[in-house]
Amino acid sequence: MKTYAFFPGCAYESAAGYAESVAALNIPLGIRLTELDDWTCCGATAAFSLDEGDGLALCGRLFALAQKEGHTDIVTVCNACYTTLRKAGKRMTADPPAQVEVSRRLADQGLGLALPLPKVLHYLDLLVAEPFDRRLTGKRQVEHGVGAVAVYYGCQYSRPWTTGPEAQHPTMLQRLLAGLGFDVVEHSAGTLCCGASHAVPYADACGPMIGRIVGEIRGKGGRIITTICPMCQFNLDAGQRGLGKDPLPVTYFTQLIGLALDIDPADLGLNKLLIPLSAMQKKAP
Amino acid sequence: MNEPDPDDPFFAHPECRQILRCIQCGACSGSCPLGAEMDYAPRALFAMIRDGDLGGALKSNTPWYCVSCYQCMDRCPQEIPVADIMYRLKQMAVEAGCRPRIHKLPDFYRAFVQDVGRNGRMTESHVMARYSLKHPGDAAANTVTALKLLARGRLNLFPNRSRDPSHVAALTARCRKRETDA
Repeated sequence: MKTYAFFPGCAYESAAGYAESVAALNIPLGIRLTELDDWTCCGATAAFSLDEGDGLALCGRLFALAQKEGHTDIVTVCNACYTTLRKAGKRMTADPPAQVEVSRRLADQGLGLALPLPKVLHYLDLLVAEPFDRRLTGKRQVEHGVGAVAVYYGCQYSRPWTTGPEAQHPTMLQRLLAGLGFDVVEHSAGTLCCGASHAVPYADACGPMIGRIVGEIRGKGGRIITTICPMCQFNLDAGQRGLGKDPLPVTYFTQLIGLALDIDPADLGLNKLLIPLSAMQKKAP
Repeated sequence: MNEPDPDDPFFAHPECRQILRCIQCGACSGSCPLGAEMDYAPRALFAMIRDGDLGGALKSNTPWYCVSCYQCMDRCPQEIPVADIMYRLKQMAVEAGCRPRIHKLPDFYRAFVQDVGRNGRMTESHVMARYSLKHPGDAAANTVTALKLLARGRLNLFPNRSRDPSHVAALTARCRKRETDA
């Protein structure tokens, strides 16, 4: 059974039950993740905005750590980590001098890069592919009474470095959740931007972005929003303050899947959501 | 415009040369979630640069409002890497010491990279603390949320730290050097 290099990223530990629910799913599904030893920040949008070479070097270090341990894939759980690593990987593959320069900067740490670079995956990519998708089918169906679910991918999962036929309008998570018995609503806000870290310096400008996402989902009958990224989850969970009453709870997709696998909600970290899930569980859509 | 000078700091980058193929359709500006906040939305910014006003583009707030959602790149019929060009403009603006009228985001990014350079990993509360030295109002606006996060065990007060942060200090040196330049 294959073991994947796991890059949790800086926001994972303080995310609302993401780490708990991923760990809880790994056991019944038989997913083997090994945390990248001594991992460091990917630099996200910040490093690339200030210096291209540093942005590549921060990502290059992570590719090199994975290669040192013999891994051919890196699994991420954050859209920003995912897209930053994919961008850097693509750039270094297309521009050999840039890759050589990164290797040179890593040499005194005993690290270096070799092509091909490890492939970057999101944990969601694992769940919807062989063999884990098969292990999810036929699992216990969720009970009626859990509100209608709206899938929110955010922007940096589907654009622009991803591959495959679902790049612009992903539907794999809707299908996965529907297969587990969830009532999944269709809506048009699935890949809109939540404002990401711009929500800190430009809160007034980003407020309407969150309002638009939540408004669209509410209008289409969604009662629970589910996300695949710590930044999205935080912005939608904390950002509904001031949007009126009856906010919609915002979970991680791994938490909902955990409920369908009959994992105790206490082991899924659901108590860490700012807007409690229980508020919407019993309401008809 | 005529064929650009290969030594031009902007057009020297292959992705930046792509704006010569821009048909000014405005799909990028119409797709941009923060276009309304920008001095010039991407279509107008590219027109300016093609007219020779790179300086105006570097001083504008436009690249700093780019939130990297990449919708413009998905929708551009000419497949121009709009968001990548915004990154080049940010890097060039920082290098040239241009400070746009609105410069909160550069300050936020610097707080982020400072924390990573020091600890190897980023800790939200530490980035906010650094950033709030320059923009205390934005930190105050998040006090209620911070307390709620604390109550749910979601606010790390101690820094996330890698085993040997000096490894990353060297890899962020240029970003951090540029903090003192600007």
